[in-house]
Amino acid sequence: MPTLELKNVSYAYEKGKAVLRNISAELETGKMYAILGPSGSGKTTLLSLLGGLDVPIQGGVLFDGEDIATKGLEHHRRNHVSLIFQSYNLIDYMTPAENVRLTAKLDAAPILERLGLTKGETQRNVLKLSGGQQQRVAIARALASDAPVILADEPTGNLDADTAREITAVLKESAHGFGKCVVVVTHDCEVAKQADVVLEIRRGYLKKREY
Amino acid sequence: MGIFKRAFLYVTRKRGKTVLLFAILLIMATLVLTGLSIWKASEAAQLDLRQSLGGKFDVFVDWSDSPYVVKEPVKDEVDEETGKTSSSFLMYSTVQFTSENIAAIKGVSGVKYCSARQDNLLPFEGLSLFPGTISIDAKYQGYTKTLGVYGTEDDELFTTGTLTLTEGRHISAGDTHVAIISQDLAERSELKIGDYLTAHSYSVEDQGFTGQEIKVQIIGLFAPNVVEQFGETVAAYDKIQNRVFVDLQTSKEFDGGEINYGFSALHVTIDDPRDMARVVADVKALPGIDWNAFTVEADNETYESAAAPLAALNDLVVTLLVVIIVVSAIILALILTLWTKTRIHEIGVLLSVGIRKSAIIGQYLIEVLLIAILAFGLSYFTSSAIAGQIGDRLLEQSMQTGPEGDNDVVSAAAAVDVGADNLIQKSKPAEIGIQVSVGPDDLARLYLIGLAVVTAAVSASSITVMRLKPREILSKMS
Repeated sequence: MPTLELKNVSYAYEKGKAVLRNISAELETGKMYAILGPSGSGKTTLLSLLGGLDVPIQGGVLFDGEDIATKGLEHHRRNHVSLIFQSYNLIDYMTPAENVRLTAKLDAAPILERLGLTKGETQRNVLKLSGGQQQRVAIARALASDAPVILADEPTGNLDADTAREITAVLKESAHGFGKCVVVVTHDCEVAKQADVVLEIRRGYLKKREY
Repeated sequence: MGIFKRAFLYVTRKRGKTVLLFAILLIMATLVLTGLSIWKASEAAQLDLRQSLGGKFDVFVDWSDSPYVVKEPVKDEVDEETGKTSSSFLMYSTVQFTSENIAAIKGVSGVKYCSARQDNLLPFEGLSLFPGTISIDAKYQGYTKTLGVYGTEDDELFTTGTLTLTEGRHISAGDTHVAIISQDLAERSELKIGDYLTAHSYSVEDQGFTGQEIKVQIIGLFAPNVVEQFGETVAAYDKIQNRVFVDLQTSKEFDGGEINYGFSALHVTIDDPRDMARVVADVKALPGIDWNAFTVEADNETYESAAAPLAALNDLVVTLLVVIIVVSAIILALILTLWTKTRIHEIGVLLSVGIRKSAIIGQYLIEVLLIAILAFGLSYFTSSAIAGQIGDRLLEQSMQTGPEGDNDVVSAAAAVDVGADNLIQKSKPAEIGIQVSVGPDDLARLYLIGLAVVTAAVSASSITVMRLKPREILSKMS
């Protein structure tokens, strides 16, 4: 059974102008998915629907075979998914360790260490870390929450090429090493190349490419 | 991570905002606490004033309108010089207050004293009276005013401190054939407690006290605290040192008939003049009193004029308090609303990780409350310093605008006899100790008010958060 499933999902911001049209897809744990598409194609919208930040106008998003609306979107966000954003979205009055502990169900320290952050770095103000380090903290927060699905929206968008590669590797490690279902929205082909499955959105339809 | 931990981290890490909010809350709390302490002091001053003045009302036979008033001719007298005949009448009410009525009135909540008297001019054997300053009719030589009372402890002469019981005990309801006289008269007449005074009942036939011999035992001695001033005119029978108090039963026996079986007037003192209307209503509602026979005359003017400045101050303080609280809530809500808008990013993050909106607002509430607890605590000291200065001035000014003297404080005369009762110590406002201080009760009130204000302000400022959908917030973030 797929962990996350899109079933005949449609979405429109305005009546008659559909962004997503009757999309269906199955997402499994242990795999990294990349969602590709041009700007305004509905990549982030799709991620929002998967993350329970919004609801489709038609169809449904299922987690372990159950519609996420059944137990509520908050429940879904709290227990099933973890979100990573382009701008890291860390809380500025907390240290990296505290940011990770925000929703942690697992011990934060070994995860931060595994993602290459020293003890000193985890105790300082989160805004004093580099972009790459901040994104590692965001990934650590996602991993520590023990959610089976990690949804990342342009996670390498603000990073240089080397750091982007490192972060992509960490996301891949999250899928393969930690057994998560990682969904990455990106327009970076280098990131997409690292994914196990590429889902491409064009004119509201989804095309699947598996590697 | 729980909301308390998040709130604590925010408060301790965002020091600039914390200090600013602390200062705002401290100012607000100081104003509220100062207002509360002045209000409390004003209330206390009013209470002191009311208690020092007391309230009084008289209940007496309505001699003009009562259907129970009887006027009987007693005896026609012919003037020896002119040969003209004059008639004398006996006027009385067939409905009077009984001891049971007085006991019931004393039982009414708020009644402090209930004084009732019958009075007679009569001669006692063996009493060596003090002379008056004016000559009196020969037939009243050796006579003194004798007051038949329900009890001396409630009598106005004693309750006002005009007389003080120095030895023995008071006359109480149920006593018979007992008397209280002045210490001076006892010494002058070589009498002491336990000795007997003798007089005779009134004889209608003889028109004098030539009836049955009545003996009363002296059970107490009093000392007057005020005597007539030099030059004042007073008859011997009116001199306060010559006054004799007896019980009601004895007084009736002296009267020699059944006409005056009770009291035709009462003087009631109440604890709080503010309760005057309620107490009068309660008294009028008592069973067993025919109100067709009596009329009530209340005198609250003194209290009202004395309390008016303090009441005005009280109203002002209450209005200011309400304004301060409302303005504080509005200012706080505006500041928090502005700050909430700067925290939209944080809200989005928290929502994206599955934290409920209610938990986010709860965190904001705890943050403000954490700062408020400290600010309110510190305001105890700041407001103590301010309240002492401002409050004292305000209250003293209020008191200065109050009644200047005690001359207009009139003891209602309807229920009491004249003469020595002119010496009755007038009620006057006590020295009111104005103490504007902040107490733990004020602080407790402040915390309650503060909790309400902070909750209202945080709720108002969080309306935008409650309205936004997570996706909208995240859109704003990006």
